[in-house]
This record gives sequence, C-alpha cells and structure tokens, in this order.
Amino acid sequence: MTQQKYEKLSAWVDGEIHHDGLVDDLKNDAELMQKWQGYHLVRDALRKETPDQLNFDIAANVAAALENEPTLLAPKKSTWRDWPVVGNVIPLVRNAGQFAIAASVATAMIIGVQNYNQPKDVETNFESNSGFSGLGVQGGLSPVSLEQSRALPRQSVQEQQRKIIAFLTDHQQQMRRKTTELEHNNPQQVTENETEQAEVSPK
Amino acid sequence: MWRVFAVVSLLICSAASAADLPSEDSAQGWLTKMATALRTKNYDMSFVVLQPQSTVEPYRWRHAIVDGKEMEHLSLLNGPGREMVRIDDKVSVFEPNVPAYSQQSDTINGPLPAILFREPLDLADAYNFVLVGRSRISGRATQQIRVICKDKTRYGFNLWLDQESGLLLKMDMVDQSGKIIEQVQVASLSVTEKPADIFQKIEEEKLPDIVNNSIAALPEHKWQLRWLPQGMNEVRRDTHRLSVTGNVIDYILYSDGLVDISVYIQDDYPGESNKNLYRHGAETYYSFHQGNLEITVVGKIPPQTADRMAQSLAIEAN
Repeated sequence: MTQQKYEKLSAWVDGEIHHDGLVDDLKNDAELMQKWQGYHLVRDALRKETPDQLNFDIAANVAAALENEPTLLAPKKSTWRDWPVVGNVIPLVRNAGQFAIAASVATAMIIGVQNYNQPKDVETNFESNSGFSGLGVQGGLSPVSLEQSRALPRQSVQEQQRKIIAFLTDHQQQMRRKTTELEHNNPQQVTENETEQAEVSPK
Repeated sequence: MWRVFAVVSLLICSAASAADLPSEDSAQGWLTKMATALRTKNYDMSFVVLQPQSTVEPYRWRHAIVDGKEMEHLSLLNGPGREMVRIDDKVSVFEPNVPAYSQQSDTINGPLPAILFREPLDLADAYNFVLVGRSRISGRATQQIRVICKDKTRYGFNLWLDQESGLLLKMDMVDQSGKIIEQVQVASLSVTEKPADIFQKIEEEKLPDIVNNSIAALPEHKWQLRWLPQGMNEVRRDTHRLSVTGNVIDYILYSDGLVDISVYIQDDYPGESNKNLYRHGAETYYSFHQGNLEITVVGKIPPQTADRMAQSLAIEAN
C-alpha cells in the first residue's frame, strides 16, 4: 500500500497523473509530506536547480518558532505622537515640508532652464563668427560651471564669448607655430629654464 | 640570513631593470618602433579626431620617402579644410582666411602630438609607459600601450599600434576617471612599397616662402609660474596682440611634448574677482581674475591643474 502510494506521489510530482485525492492524503500524512519534499529535492538536484543554501525544513522551523513565541500582553507604549499638541503640529510640519520640496523643485527648474539656455547662446555665437578658423567646423563651447549665479547682461556675455574665442584661437595659432620655435630655440630655452630654476630654488 | 637574501635579490632586480634596454616586446620598444615607422614608411591613412559631444574631424594623411626626402600631406576633409604639406623641414600651410605660408619644422603640427614622431621616450620624465595587451583595431592586430601621467596633473593616453608596421592606429586621451576626452581613430591604412602618386605632383618651387615669425622686439615680461606639472617646460614667451580682439597680452607657452598649455596674463584689467571655466572639446579654458590682473590658461589639461598654474603666478625677482 505505502509503496503504491509513493509511486503515485512520484508520478504526481512528475506531472504524469492528476489525482485530486492525493492532495488530501498528502495533507494528512506526515510521512507522505516528507517524501514529497524529498522527491522535489531530488528533482531540483538532478536539474541542478538547488538553491545556494538548503533549508531542509523551513515549514517545520517556522511552526516550531511560532509555537515557542510568547504571547505579548503588554500595552503599547505611548509615543510623542499621542501627546495632544505635538500630534497636531507634526502633520503641519510635514505638509510644510512638502511645500518646501515643491518650491525647491521649482527653483531647480528655473536654474536648470537658465543653465540649459546659456550654452545655446554660446554656440550660436560661435557659429555666427565665420571668420574664426581656430575652432572645429561645428565648434561650440560647453560651459562646465559658471561660478557667478547672477545672470550676466547680454552685452557682457557676448563680450565674454568673444574673449574666449580670442584666447582659444590664439592658443591654436601658438601651438601651430610651436615646432618652429622648438627647433630653433630649444637649446637656448633649456639653459634659460635651468637658470630660472636655479634662481627660484633657493627661496 | 633572510635579510641577506632579500638584499641580494633586490640587487639582482635593480641590476636587471638597469640593463633592461628597450626591447622589442616592451612599451618603450614599441614606441621606438612607432616613431621609426611614422618617419620612414610610405603610408596613406584616413583618421577621425573625435571629441565626445563636440566635434568630429576627418583627416587624410599621407607620408612617403621620395628620393631620400621625407614628404607628408595632411588634409582636413570637412568644411573649408586645411592642407598641410611638409617636405623635410619645411611645412606649408593652406587654410581659409589666411594667405598660404610656410614655416620651418620637421613635423606637421596637426592633431597628433609631434613628439610621437620624434623621441617618444623623452616623455619618460612625466609619463609612465605600460604595455597592456593586444586587440583588433581598424581590422588589424594591434599592441596597446598606456601612457600614464606620473603626477596625475594631466590626462593619460591609450595608444594602439599596428602589430605589423608599428604605425599608430588609435589614440585615446582619457581623464582620471577613464572617460574619453579625445579620440583619434584610423579608419583605413595602407602601407606601400612605393610612394603615392600625389607626391610626384607637388611642385616644390611653388610652395610659399618661409615666414619669419619673430615679432618686433618688445621688452620681455617677467612673469613666472611657481608651480608647473612635472616634465612641463617653458617653450616660448612673448608679448603679442590677440588676433580677434586686438588686446595686447603677455604670453607664455608651456609643453611637455604631448600637451601644450598657453598662459596669458593681462594686467591693468579692471573688474571684480572671479573665475571662469569653459570646456571646448578637450580644451580647457580657465580664467582667473584677481585685482587688476587676469590670468588665462588654455590647454588640454584638467581644470584643477589650470587653476593651480594660474594661482602660482608671480613676478620674477630681477
């Protein structure tokens, strides 16, 4: 009888038969339950699907833990929320916090928009300056950080950009000229550097 | 006993490293191979200079030895373009808005640092070379070499050299966090026995004359930077006029071979103290305004380095 039951269970676990009565049998028969667990474990092991940690009998452990749990009868501790005044103030503060967050988001939006617009200005300005050969064909500046938070008047922004173009162009020109200088002045430069270093080092 | 052993083994190690001349399979050996290949082979390559979120510049670059003369042609393919032709130590530049001119130089000052063609090992003062590994670039087997700045004040480089010819196939400029700032990528390369036909067509006599760059003698300024990144040397100093605004500025050019830094000093410049920082592609523009003095630093360096350089400005004692 038992052997037959086990075979049935095995077939059921493999999905080969459908037998509703078996579930009821399983629920009432601890030995059968054990077997059911064993079959699943074997199957998982064969398919290499076993979890990293094997907890062989979670259900039994939980049941035992629940059994041993002492029943709590002590009353709940009163918290500051239950004090009459504070209880009313806290929600108010919380709401105010939400307003503050909303406000800060709005500020961030405004700042974000300003920052977003500035590089555009810079780029259009560079593009309009067609006589400028130092920068790339699709040249444009991307500001990393503008340390002044106030908005510059448009005039001075343009002035600033013109200045940056001036320096960047000059840097390109100087770099292109460099090799010439290196060839001719190098020995002289080295001695110059050495004397300079000598002058600086005693300080 | 162990101590003696340790000392002996240390001695052996140091002796071994001292005797370690650049061999074929070291980073130094590869860099030497590259420099030689770049100057002696006949090649024709197309490459792109990329700056993330900024510009893309395609170039064609041809190099050949014709009758014992080194000839080179570099051409910017987008926009109005820029053509540079070099015959031995004369470089002729053709670009829009400027009359054609020639200058004396034994390398074209293009997007690739000139020192790579000359003596890459001179960089050893400021940079470490590390042989990394092999990979495939532009359809060829390559050797990767990392060039790392010793004092971390400048960006690092990754070079990929063609295993067969030693030519440069890819170069990345990376910041300290490993983000790519500028990239040179070769798209096609052909190395040939014979020089390309284009070099036969160049009429040497018709190239523009060498212009003299020397400017009318102005009293030399006395500005000094008290702090410089390791291996960075002063290349030139003068006082000149900016071509765009016409402002007269004191100027110093620094270089370590891979990176050039321009420092501009303008005194008698009224305004309030502030700092300005812009990035244009890989280029950092940093201006520092204090009192009546405005110091501007431009170059492919991290902003922190530019700031430190600008702050260290002083006037020479004598």
